[in-house]
Amino acid sequence: MPDPIVVSELSKSYVNGSRSTVALDSFSFRGNRNMILSLLGRNGSGKTTFAKIATTQLMPDSGDVYLNGTSVIDEPEEIRATISLVPQEGRPFGHLTPREHVYYYQRMIGETREKASTITEMIIEELDIESFQNTQCVNLSGGQKQTTMLAMALSKDAETYFLDEPTIGLDVITRKRVWEVIERIRRERKMVILTTHYLDEASVLSDEICIVSHGRLVSQGTLNDLRSRLGHDTRIRFSTRVDEKIVSSMGTLVDDEKGQILLTESGNVEEVLKTVGYMNGRIEIGPVGLDDVFVSMVGEDIDE
Amino acid sequence: MSDAWTRKLRAVHGLMMVNGFIPLHRRPLALVAILSTPFSFLFFIYIFGHAQALLAGCIGGLIFTVINSATMLQSDLLFFKIDLKFQQIAVSSGISPLNYVIGMASGNMLFMLPGLVFFMTMIVYLTPLTVIAGIMIVATVLVTWLMFSLISYLISTRIREMKDIWPVSVIFSILFAVIPPIYYSVESLPLPYRYVAYAVPTTFSALIIKNSVSLNLAGALIYFAIFAAEAAAVIIITYLFADWRTGRS
Repeated sequence: MPDPIVVSELSKSYVNGSRSTVALDSFSFRGNRNMILSLLGRNGSGKTTFAKIATTQLMPDSGDVYLNGTSVIDEPEEIRATISLVPQEGRPFGHLTPREHVYYYQRMIGETREKASTITEMIIEELDIESFQNTQCVNLSGGQKQTTMLAMALSKDAETYFLDEPTIGLDVITRKRVWEVIERIRRERKMVILTTHYLDEASVLSDEICIVSHGRLVSQGTLNDLRSRLGHDTRIRFSTRVDEKIVSSMGTLVDDEKGQILLTESGNVEEVLKTVGYMNGRIEIGPVGLDDVFVSMVGEDIDE
Repeated sequence: MSDAWTRKLRAVHGLMMVNGFIPLHRRPLALVAILSTPFSFLFFIYIFGHAQALLAGCIGGLIFTVINSATMLQSDLLFFKIDLKFQQIAVSSGISPLNYVIGMASGNMLFMLPGLVFFMTMIVYLTPLTVIAGIMIVATVLVTWLMFSLISYLISTRIREMKDIWPVSVIFSILFAVIPPIYYSVESLPLPYRYVAYAVPTTFSALIIKNSVSLNLAGALIYFAIFAAEAAAVIIITYLFADWRTGRS
């Protein structure tokens, strides 16, 4: 049985006049079981370029993507029958209702009237969108519009779902509703490729995370794998600056927008506090999170 | 009918509903917009040329309505591609580019249908039209619609900014509907310009219809053969140069 997704040495540059921008640079990863696999990276890190190549919209300069053993370059028609996409910044038609979106999308992909109606009913019920199913999308909130986009994508019985920043711009409550929808796909044992730059989203939803920077894979694994690769289990945040020379032997000191963070072992905490001094501003102690992993691996903070 | 064909027809129907019937039902203003120019031209032609010029106004109006519909299609295709990102969904869903453009253009055809019916009715009323001549006119309208829908699709796939379509649409309309001899006779143009006019497909649309209404079917057929060759060239050019995949290349 082939792996659900294999990305092999994918490279893509955009040429604009005499200037060339590298979007993907020998980008490779593998997903060996159906799961939610998140691609986490800053804006411009290459996530969307990858999603476009994997959904047959863009040709790479070199490399290939295999979904369940099928090449997206050599057999795009076969791939298109097995994937579903929520594009980045996609919007529903203002004059259509969510119900019409699902129904007519089903018609567009060739389903009969009866089957399109049955699927529409099922999706509306499952996503709990009965209350606004017959409202024209122009009158819906941002979250309701995004749920409509997801409903359309989920109505296709695909093997792999590509969700390109599906919660961008949504409020916290609506994001959590969208997360529930994404988790529903996982329960059906389908592959979800989620591109996001929300760390909390990747932490909560992902079975595995790929950290992407400058078009390259920096690291891949479960959240625990990534934490363990960091070599530290505890973070100490200082609100005031500390002397790097004093603490450098006890862990890795990184800057963030609120001060400095020392990534260290739980056994070192007492010694750090004695060395730095308990009265040295505000100090927060906690387990290492994905944001620490990300900052440590990519070297810069991201949007949230 | 095979399953593959039935699925294609469903795709066309779905797009026709989304881009035609539903917006026509809920946003009927576009209907007025698409018919306003040919009817305004007809009004002025009637005022200045009186009843004798009415037939020329109706023939021109018939073609102008088709070109207006194709112009509207450019904006729709680009809006679906750039603003809604729907073309990305269509590509990754396996909807073929031909089904997509036919579905979208069929939706727009609903908007031009009242205009077509009006101008056709007027032509039937004003001329001793035979059934064969009528079929020639309908065929010409359909080929014109197909040809200019494909040109619109080709243009929309090459444009990457919504704002860029507005000047293109205006130029498109002037080049294919306002300046070419669809409201007047091509013979009234001085010779060097007449050759230029023959390079424009709508000139042949008008020539076929004018020859059909004057019952010169042999002439209409010759022009139709040239017109069909032009349509074939447009199909080939669109196939070669349209960028269906929506990512930057």
